[in-house]
Amino acid sequence: MIILHAGFQEKHLLLWGETAPSEPFTAKRSSKKKSDKPARLIYDAGADGLLTALSEFLSGIKIEKSEFENVSLWLPTVDGQPVASSVLIADPPESKSPPVLAAWTVTALPLATVEAIELLSLCADKSLLSPGVVAGLDLAYWAMAMRFAGAMTVRQQLLPAVVKEDDKHHARWLPVFVGPDAERAAKLARVMPHVCRAMSAADVTTPPDNAAAGLLADFVGLIVDFLARVDRENQPTKKRSFNSLHDQWLNALRTMNSELAGKETELLQFAAQTRDWRRPVEVTTSSPFRLCFRLEEPIEPKTELAPSARRSVSASSNQWHVRYLLQSADDPSLLIPVADVWNAKAKQAAVLKRPNFNAREFLLSSLGQAASISPHIEQSLKSSAPAGYDLDSTAAFEFLQEKAWLLEQSGFNVMLPAWWTRKGTKLRLSARANVKSPKLQGGGGLSLSEIIKFDYEVALGDETLSLKELEALAKLKEPLVRIRGQWVQLSAEEIQTAIEFWKKKATGKASVRELVHMSLGVGGKGKSVKGIAFEGVNADGWIGDLLAQLDGRKAFQELEPAKNFNGTLRPYQTRGSSWLSFLTDIGFGACLADDMGLGKTIQTLTKIQRDWQSGDKKTRRPVLLVCPMSVMGNWQKEAARFTPDLPVMIHHGLTRAKGAAFKKEAAKHAIVISSYSLLHRDQAILEGMDWQGIILDEAQNIKNAETKQSKAARSLKSEYRAALTGTPVENNVGDLWSVMEFLNPGFLGTQAEFKRNFFMPIQTQRDEQATAQLKRLTSPFILRRLKTDKTIISDLPEKMEMKTFCTLTKEQASLYAAVAEDAGKSLESSDGIQRKGLVLATLMKLKQVCNHPAQFLGDNSAIPGRSGKLARLTEMLEEVLASNERALIFTQFTEMGGIIQRYLQENFGHEVLFLHGGVTQKNRVRMVERFQKNTPGSPPVFILSLKAGGTGLNLTAANHVFHFDRWWNPAVENQATDRAFRIGQQRNVQVHKFLCAGTLEEKIDEMIERKSEIASSIVGTGEGWLTELSTKELKNLFALRADAIGE
Amino acid sequence: MGRYGRYDDDGYRYGYYSYRKKIKATGGIKAQSKRGAFGETWWAKRWIGTLESFNIGERLNRGKSYARSGQVLSIDITKGQVKSRVQGSFNDPYKITIKLKELDASNWGKITSALGSQAIFAAKLMAGEMPQEIEQVFQSNSLSLFPEKLRDLETDCSCPDWSNPCKHIAAVYFLLAEEFDRDPFLLFKLRGLEREELIAALGKFTRSATEAADESVAETALPPEPLTAKANSFWQGGVFPENIFGEVRIPPVNAALITRLGNFPFWRGEEAFSEAMDSIYSKASTEGLNVF
Repeated sequence: MIILHAGFQEKHLLLWGETAPSEPFTAKRSSKKKSDKPARLIYDAGADGLLTALSEFLSGIKIEKSEFENVSLWLPTVDGQPVASSVLIADPPESKSPPVLAAWTVTALPLATVEAIELLSLCADKSLLSPGVVAGLDLAYWAMAMRFAGAMTVRQQLLPAVVKEDDKHHARWLPVFVGPDAERAAKLARVMPHVCRAMSAADVTTPPDNAAAGLLADFVGLIVDFLARVDRENQPTKKRSFNSLHDQWLNALRTMNSELAGKETELLQFAAQTRDWRRPVEVTTSSPFRLCFRLEEPIEPKTELAPSARRSVSASSNQWHVRYLLQSADDPSLLIPVADVWNAKAKQAAVLKRPNFNAREFLLSSLGQAASISPHIEQSLKSSAPAGYDLDSTAAFEFLQEKAWLLEQSGFNVMLPAWWTRKGTKLRLSARANVKSPKLQGGGGLSLSEIIKFDYEVALGDETLSLKELEALAKLKEPLVRIRGQWVQLSAEEIQTAIEFWKKKATGKASVRELVHMSLGVGGKGKSVKGIAFEGVNADGWIGDLLAQLDGRKAFQELEPAKNFNGTLRPYQTRGSSWLSFLTDIGFGACLADDMGLGKTIQTLTKIQRDWQSGDKKTRRPVLLVCPMSVMGNWQKEAARFTPDLPVMIHHGLTRAKGAAFKKEAAKHAIVISSYSLLHRDQAILEGMDWQGIILDEAQNIKNAETKQSKAARSLKSEYRAALTGTPVENNVGDLWSVMEFLNPGFLGTQAEFKRNFFMPIQTQRDEQATAQLKRLTSPFILRRLKTDKTIISDLPEKMEMKTFCTLTKEQASLYAAVAEDAGKSLESSDGIQRKGLVLATLMKLKQVCNHPAQFLGDNSAIPGRSGKLARLTEMLEEVLASNERALIFTQFTEMGGIIQRYLQENFGHEVLFLHGGVTQKNRVRMVERFQKNTPGSPPVFILSLKAGGTGLNLTAANHVFHFDRWWNPAVENQATDRAFRIGQQRNVQVHKFLCAGTLEEKIDEMIERKSEIASSIVGTGEGWLTELSTKELKNLFALRADAIGE
Repeated sequence: MGRYGRYDDDGYRYGYYSYRKKIKATGGIKAQSKRGAFGETWWAKRWIGTLESFNIGERLNRGKSYARSGQVLSIDITKGQVKSRVQGSFNDPYKITIKLKELDASNWGKITSALGSQAIFAAKLMAGEMPQEIEQVFQSNSLSLFPEKLRDLETDCSCPDWSNPCKHIAAVYFLLAEEFDRDPFLLFKLRGLEREELIAALGKFTRSATEAADESVAETALPPEPLTAKANSFWQGGVFPENIFGEVRIPPVNAALITRLGNFPFWRGEEAFSEAMDSIYSKASTEGLNVF
């Protein structure tokens, strides 16, 4: 585990790393050493640590050991012990002395700008860079700052300059912090973690105190300067000669060779000249105030005009006003009317007195610039003390639409009424389709391709406008009108079209499917009917019902499970299963995104079973179910249990059917289960089938649209498509497109359109309209219920026990087979106590193999990718953590607990607690306290050894309990489960019992389930009863079933 | 070369064709305007108009081509006077002087008090623009901002051409016109009033001109911010503010800041300044998107 950090010094990001020390802190190694150099930080990852970490995820960067250097780092230190950034590195000091800043020596790697950019790009949206490598919050901060520099570069807020550095003149690009960018930079500087500024040269004796704002500006400058060197690949070997300094400057601005050569006096003069040239812009950037234009709407008349049309459409007063104000850069809420600038005796004139700032000169030059944007402003300058100007609604509209944007682009602030958005007034005249459903043809059911005729009507928001109102509007001839108290923008053509709509009774026609698209807004807001924005469908009859059902205003039909269904559905599961059928039956793809544990599997199986039962025996086709390898066994078990009449085929492993054989075989089954990796590898075979449906389990596997498996999923032919996932897809805008494109192709536009219309506006500007529109487009097709939903919670038992069937990896399977074969041979030739010991030892070995090969081999070997159980545990914990829930993990093996802890910490970058026999009483109490604290900072996963943690403790903060391996004694397991399921538990508890399919784990479980008398007779006796089985029984028990093997 | 005929500097002798080529200068000042007229603004055009009123025929066009091809090696502007060196056909560049008649203090007093009555004059000048009404202000005081023929203007060139203005003077004239486009205060300077003096007089600002000049360079040093010893704020920092990036989209028009500042004064580069900047800014925008 290494946490990466970075400081910024002298134009370089200096990377350093923090790792847990090999031995705990002892007071001897304090920083107060006699030598003049600070002591080495005990957490220093060193050059080797950094190199190893970087090589995990950064490719193409070659780093020599000689590039590392020692720097001083000032850290909060308690009694000589530095406080680590995270408990993953070291626990906080126990001493109660107040922390002081002390210098420590660390190994740092100065990054070239191109390397810094590559590294920070990886930190932009995640803290876990690769297993065991975590980006510290300071690195995350620099990543944000880099994106800010990128945004400024996109907006072209930079200017070329000549800057003297280390006695040499350099051509540089400087970021221009003007207007909103200045405000943003100030905000960003305020949240800089102090560690970003905590580096100093090795010989400095006082902690650094450079201002965050200055450091941030330097860093942004570094990035901007790099990005603007657009010809940086061009690195001529020969020194070029130039005809003039100007030519040289241009070249030095474009390429990475920034240094300028020439006579010192000439260069100084040139530097001064470039400064003079930039001066008009720099006057604005260095100003403590900025000019602000505020559009003020006319005062609404107090008397309402009667009757009818005039009631709602008012010409009111036409007097708008633009007021000039000075806005403080440090405190944007401080707005001073410019009248106070002209009048030295005014109330707020004193506020304007700042060093090196002349308010009048600043105001005059700002107004002079603004004058070229708006003739109104120019006109206002013909007085001696301009403070604003009046305008009519036409000019106000022009101001809103065009001038405001231009003024903003020039660095002025503009304040507009809240009803105005970048796309116009929030409320607009719109056309609505008014659909009257035709009678349904007897028995045929509804058809989405039926063509329907409809009328258009004109509406404002939800209300229909009358012809009289429209005619009143036409007479006003104003671009902005107050209708029913709200401002609405109108064009003459819009009103004219609207009136014609009314008079001619305009009509249109579309298929039912198109009507659905129209009603959800597919294709974006840009769609218009003869100049009027199209908004919504108003339908009665069955089309109205359909639309209402889609957006949740009306319930869909609830369907009972088929006769042969072997189980009971909870009410919400019946709804979920029916919802899947409702959408897929009318030809839409559906995504069931219920919380983990709510039974997505069972809901899906009932839907498949219903289709299978009602289908024609000769023509019914199989459903292709794609899932991660780790859950294939689980699907198979669940299908066998709940829908035993459905023939299930596993398409997996080396012996899987190919070509025609596959087709023939698949046609005989109701469900074909396969994995994501085969989706692409066997694409040709799978594409050759005409599936009843394609169902993707753990559909986040196709969140990246570019991957081969995502493309393969989209290429398959089927009657319907469905996706299952427990992670909240709707929260991650970036991942949504791929899943929706699989389910309902074209709904969100092309990927590029999606990025432009939704992703960028939502990610970068939190555009509420885009968010709402996206929700409207997707919510009919995503059903997500949470365990905490009121309607669900009443359906759920307080404790749900579930078995999770895992698949062995190939390595596990071969180890398992070897152990079993060995045991089989020895069993023949042993008896008595020897036999008993052999049986118990074999049981132990097989359980270890099922857990993890590294546990069985005890060789400290690598962890990732070798255990089906650990893979499944990680997947499930991801969902637990994504919903901010907490989990306990029980294992009977301390070694396994250690392996799980290490693996999870490295994969989640969070601390994971582990309580085992070796933990002191004091620490146990502390762990429990920390876990129970249930705050965002407290560790959400707690591993306990069954022996040390199975009794006594109160861990009700958890609502998930995992039994990673089994103690064949329900009483012991239940006792452990009761750490969470006990008084004080506010939520339903889910208990996940892990079993490797096809192994003794599954077989013993079956035995216990089958013979409950055994179960009750073994309470308190552990696993001893197994030794009483006959050799044949034991051989059977140990044998590995064929379906257990993974890839 | 004998002085028996009338030569202009290229050795072009009237009546004969004995042609002597100009020496190609390198690294000289290059006019940035495209083919066609010099001077984009009305006041720069007025300045050219003065030159054109001398009726120097073909010398006008040769002057333009000199200005575009970089034959003018230097231009130094002081109050009331411009000194320049232009590369002609002799090895040594010609020396050129353009002198304008300065207005005296009492006349400036009249003008500035008239200009001070409306905010627009100071505002526009500071924003790099000369309001058209300014001419009327001068006229109503029986004065003129632009030099009128003989009375206000004195030009001299060390070339052998008998014509004054010659094409070298014309070339300097054209380049000055471009600089006027960018900096309208230059005209005032040539008439004897520096930018700071004018602004001070217009706004009745209390500061002296030198103070104003210092300010643009002086960077306000940020106050020190001591590090905290509290572990939480030391390691974690604050919560990222919302909407910290602003609108991230490539602007519809490139290099708006450059357009606002105008061309670099007396540009000597081989590439046109604004075109070079345009291409850098447009590529930089794309680069910015990559790291966003």
